[in-house]
Order: sequence, then C-alpha cells, then structure tokens
Amino acid sequence: MSERGPDFSDEGLSRRLASELPRHRAPAHVRSAVMRAAAGRSPRTGWGPAAFAAAATAMAVSLLFIAILPTSLTSDPVERLLRAVVAEHMRTVMWGARRPDIIPAVTEEAGIGLARSFSGDDRLTFLAAETVFIDRRRGVALHYRDVDGHLITYVVLPGQGVGVPDRKRVQVDRWRPALLQDAGFSTLMWKQADFVCLLVSDMVSPTDVQHFKEYFVRVRTATEPVPNY
Amino acid sequence: MTDASFRDQALIHIDALYNFALYLARSAAEADDLVQETYLRAFRFESRFQPGTHLRAWLFQILRNTFLTFYRICEREAAVAEDGVPDWDVPMFHDAPDDTGGTMDTHTDLERALRRLPEDFRTVLLLAEVEGLPLEDVARIMSCPVGTVKSRIFRAKERLRTLLQDYDKT
Repeated sequence: MSERGPDFSDEGLSRRLASELPRHRAPAHVRSAVMRAAAGRSPRTGWGPAAFAAAATAMAVSLLFIAILPTSLTSDPVERLLRAVVAEHMRTVMWGARRPDIIPAVTEEAGIGLARSFSGDDRLTFLAAETVFIDRRRGVALHYRDVDGHLITYVVLPGQGVGVPDRKRVQVDRWRPALLQDAGFSTLMWKQADFVCLLVSDMVSPTDVQHFKEYFVRVRTATEPVPNY
Repeated sequence: MTDASFRDQALIHIDALYNFALYLARSAAEADDLVQETYLRAFRFESRFQPGTHLRAWLFQILRNTFLTFYRICEREAAVAEDGVPDWDVPMFHDAPDDTGGTMDTHTDLERALRRLPEDFRTVLLLAEVEGLPLEDVARIMSCPVGTVKSRIFRAKERLRTLLQDYDKT
C-alpha cells in the first residue's frame, strides 16, 4: 500500500483549514480587559460629558501629533491642513456621534453658512454637526456614517491661501477634486466658492475608495457653503 | 436585546475574534489590541447593531475595519487585479518574509502558508473556511460582492496550494 501524500484539492484544503489549522484562544489578560470594559459600561446620560471628554481627547490627540509627528510642522499649507483635518476626523472616530440637530447654531458660530447641506440618504446617515477650529481656520464639520460602518467627515473652511494640488486631482463625476491619502485615511479636497472643502474617511481599499468617491458626489451635489457674516 | 444580553452574546465570540486577529495581524500584541478595540467599539456602537442580524459577522466586520484602519495604514498594494487583490507576480508588501525556519509538521506548514498570503486572501479563507461564515456574511464584512468573495477564495486556495507544495518538496 502506498503512503498518501497531503491533499491539495479544493475540498482537501477546505477540510485542512477547518480542522488542522491551529486555533488560538484569547489570552486571559485580553479576556479580563474586555470583561472589565463590558462591566464598566454605563448608560449615556447626555452629550455634555461626551463633549467634554471629546475636547479633552482633542487636546491629547493634538499633543500626541505634535510629539510624534515632527513632519506635521511642515510649511506646506495643504499637507498641514490635511493632517489637521484627519486629526479632527480621528476625534470623531474615537468619540462617535454627537448632536445631529445643531447645524444652524454651528454655522452661525463658524461664520460659514450652509445654503444647502447633505442630510443623508440610503447609504449615508447624518450623525452630527459641529464647529471646528483647524489650522487657525474656523469652520464647520458634518459627520456621516455609511451602511458599512465607515465614518465620513465633511469639513468646510475658509479657503484663503490653500490651493488644491493639481497633480493629485482625479475625475469624479463632473468634478476634479484632489485625492490625498495620509496615515491610512483618504481625503478628497476641493474648492467651492471661497471655501476649501474636505471629505475624509478611513476608506482606503480600492473598493472603498470607489464608494468614497460616490459619497463625494452626494455631498458635493447637495451641499453649498456660503459666507455667513 | 438588553445591554447585558448583548454583552454576553458578544463575549461568546472572543476566541474566534482573537484567532482571526492573530492571523490577520501576525502579532500577538497587535491581536490583543485589535480584540480589545473591537469590543470597545462594539459596546460603544451597540445601538447600531440590528437585532436579528448576525452578531458574529458584525464583530468580525468591526475587527477587520479596525485592522485596516490602524494596522494596515501604510501598506498599499502597488497594483491590483480587477477583484481588488494583487496579482501573483506583482511584488507585494503582504508577502511576509518566510522567517519560520526549522522542521515543521503539516499543520504548521498550513499555518505558515496562510500567514504568507495577502491580507484579502487570508481574510477570505479565515472567514469562509475556518470560521465557516456564509459567503453573504463574508461579502458584507469585506465590503464586496459575493462573486468577488468566491473569486478570492479560488485564488487564495491556488496560492495556498502552491506554497504548501513548495514546503512539501523541501
């Protein structure tokens, strides 16, 4: 009787993957950390504490960026702005949704109005609006979540002194925004009236970037920033 | 589903998530972080979970998204095929160096070969073949059509087979 060799057929590989591949159990310290996190959860009592925590985190994240990213002190205004917007987006990712009902107050405070704004559709859910202060510019951020759980942040800021880098421009529908990728985030950047607008998300795979461009079309079509003096 | 019920249901999957994380990240420390971050997110966004859908698949999706966000941020394929996975002949970051020397038995070869696959291939095999998730769930987790999942499984197995045959000859 001849000795049988390893089974490399499709079915054989399936069977081997299911039965022979070593399975690793979660170590005790991971299990206990997760249990502690689960036990420590308390119901949300309102947005005040979350907003306070978000502000504290924004400060911590800013300090972290300053500490670990010396290149963030670049003199390139686009690069500097891009990193600041990504940091702002990260803050949202870390702290989740805030109040979705405050666009008028936010735009008044920011000095940028939204004659029209994208309020979500079958793929994107509008989460929140807030005033932001990015790279010494006061602006408005709108946050959305898509059906796959990605958070997408739209930021509009005064556009003086910032140009859209031409060599990064891509054709998306009838527009040509710049597609910039930094630190695992994709950002689409364009000028609209006197404003610079940015859409940022952690959508970086080819498929996700395609979806991200579709989201750009939705936001770009339905949102119109105007001066609000 | 109540908070406690959701929590209990979610914790059932911790070993499967850790196993997935370990093969995905190829580092125990990163797997630890990935699993903890996954649960933190799941608990925070519990209200977004739709009761009646697959909690297990939802957790895997969070874990993979977290991985892509925080652990794969600098790794981009130079070129991709039409199904979004790099071609065999294209030099790829994801081809991890084969740094596991010495004698190994068959199942270790399997583990070693799996760890050398590109992330998309590893993920699709781990979810579909190891965890036994339905292709529809795998497609949702990977944000691609079911047809693409099938194609990736096919190509992943081709590649796995080649690696295993190479190991078998040595």
